[in-house]
This record gives sequence, C-alpha cells and structure tokens, in this order.
Amino acid sequence: MRSTADPEVNPMLEGKTVILRALEPADLERVHTWMNDPEVRRYIAMRYPMARVDEQAWLKDRPQNSFAEGVRLAIDTKEGLHIGNLDLRELRPEDRSASLGIVIGEKEYWSNGHGTDALTTLLRFAFYEMNLHRVSLHTFEFNERGQACYRKCGFKEEGRLREHYYAEGRYWDSLVMAVLREEFDALHGLAAEVVGSSA
Amino acid sequence: MLEGQLVRLRAIEPGDLEREYVWINDLEVTRYLTARYPMSRADEERWIQSASPNSFAQGVRLAIETKEGEHIGNIDLHRMHSEDRKAGLGVMIGNKEYWGNGYGTDAITTLLRFAFYEQNLNRVWLTVFDDNDRAMACYRKCGFVEEARQRQDVYMEGRYRDVLFMGVLRRDFDALHGGPGGEPDA
Repeated sequence: MRSTADPEVNPMLEGKTVILRALEPADLERVHTWMNDPEVRRYIAMRYPMARVDEQAWLKDRPQNSFAEGVRLAIDTKEGLHIGNLDLRELRPEDRSASLGIVIGEKEYWSNGHGTDALTTLLRFAFYEMNLHRVSLHTFEFNERGQACYRKCGFKEEGRLREHYYAEGRYWDSLVMAVLREEFDALHGLAAEVVGSSA
Repeated sequence: MLEGQLVRLRAIEPGDLEREYVWINDLEVTRYLTARYPMSRADEERWIQSASPNSFAQGVRLAIETKEGEHIGNIDLHRMHSEDRKAGLGVMIGNKEYWGNGYGTDAITTLLRFAFYEQNLNRVWLTVFDDNDRAMACYRKCGFVEEARQRQDVYMEGRYRDVLFMGVLRRDFDALHGGPGGEPDA
C-alpha cells in the first residue's frame, strides 16, 4: 500500500511522523474501504453506504487545493503508508477562519500520535502559510479519542450543541472546539520551536 | 399563512422586493447580519426569483406581516436536516419602528410552532453576535439557550467578534408554550 505521491511533482507538508500530500486517483481503494468500515464511519457522520463510483466521482471532481475551494490532503506515514485524510473547508477570507475534518482510516494507527502530528502539521500550514486566524471543528460527544487529540493540538472546547446529531437510535451532543492562532503560537509555534531547540 | 398573536407569516412575493432592497442596504439592519457587501436591486431580484418553493428539503422563507398587513421583516429555516431533525433559523426585522416591540418574539414563536408541530423537528439553532443584546433577549424568551461561544469567529468593524450558538429543543418549547395543544402565549 505504498502511496503514489511524487515529491518532484507534489510539494508536501512535513510533520514529525507523517507527511501530508495531495490526494491521487490511486487512493480510491483505500478511501473506499475506510468509508465503508463501520468503526471508522461512526466518527465522521457518514450515514449511507458509499459506492466505489461515488468515491471515484468525489476524487475526480475535487477542485485543486486553494483558499477558495479548501484543502484536502492525504496523511502518509514517513514510510509512505497512506493512513487517513484531513481537510480544511468553509474558508472565510474576511474572518480568516476555516473548519477542519480528519479521518484516520487505518485503525492500527489510532491513538499513537499520528493524528496529532497530522493536525499540528495542517494547523501550522493554516496559520503560517494561509494566514488564518481561527480553525474550528465539531465533534460528537462520544468521540473521546478525537477530543483528547484535538486538545493536544491546542483546540479548546467552546460549547456543546445539544442533540445536534442522531445516530444509533438516539440524539447526541456535538462539541464545538476551536484554536486561535495566538494559542497555537504559544503551544507549537515558531516561538515554541526556538525554546524547544535550545532546551 | 401561519398566524401568531401580533404577526402572520406568509410566502415572499415579488412585490416585497423594494422593501427588502431598502432593508438589506440599511447598515443598522445589516450590522446584525453577515451581509457585508452592498446588494443591488438586481441581486435582490435574483435572490427572490431563485427562491425554491417552501419545503423540508429546500427550507422555509417567509415574510413577517403585522395583522394590519404591513410587511416588517423576513424569517427563515435553513440547513434543514432530515436525520437529525434540526434546522437553523434566521430573522430580520427590517422596519426599525418595530424593533423591541415583541414582533420578533411573536414571529419566531410562530415559526417554531410550525417547525416542531408541523415539520416534526427536534431542534432549531441559530447564531448571534455576542453584542446583540436585543436579539439575545428575544431568543431567550422564545426558549433558546446559549450553547457555545465561538471565539473571535467573525471579523467586522475592525475587530474579531464572538458568535454565540443558541438552540431550542422541542421539549423546551413544549414546556414553555404549553405543547401542541397549548394556547399561544398572551
């Protein structure tokens, strides 16, 4: 399952344990498998089974990554294994804000820091290359693994939307979480980097 | 039409264009909406003409009229969600003489009654700027409670502003307004 990413063609965002790169048609099979895995789908509000052809259309019609159209990237381990995807959407230039989504489809990579590294890498890009001010997300109340990861990346809980989501026979609350650039700076930013390297 | 105590809600008609054009270009009105850019008469006309018939899937857009037949604002349900049985609500009282007089509260209560008792929704949510005290007081009266504060979420007038997320559940609304058989509030 080596990815087809070509560093000569595609610039990549480099983290500590992962690389973020553009999605390619060859990613279809993996994404299709993930999107039909009940354990994965449970956390990403994918209610209806998705056909391979739907997935193909999604990959093909995907606009080029940009501020206006948003950013969708594949998460590869440094060994070149494609383990998930993440994206920035609903980018608003005046407010300099975006919302974020992530899926780690390869379940052996859950809870071992790859998600945190991928998010931190994307946030670094969002704040220091795209000049965003705020990145937010919604997460289901039962996604505690996700919430722990978001907190590590600097996200703070801003509130709880009551009964915002229905699944598995009942309503669930959604948590609103967000990180501001100044908070990310303090935690992971250029300043923190300098402090870290001198330690 | 949906009948309230002070207002009725009716479908939007092409004849409403002139009033909406004035409201949507009134800074005192738009500072509470996220309508940043001036809108031409043609933009407004396109907006009215492109409106789909009111339905669950396409949402609900209605004009607010006093019982005397004066059109004072608009109200809508958007981002309708079938499985979650929820929708977002937006309201604008464009005629400023009717601000602070209970017309907004009555219009919202009337639309919530429709949302919960005719459309079978479980939840209605909205967002409001944290300095819009008049609107928040009105939303609270209708049963909305503050659920989240999105910090520095919108940039306007030279600074970032917090946006509050408020929501009302059907059971809150039932308790407040007496349920489907309950009398409309006096």
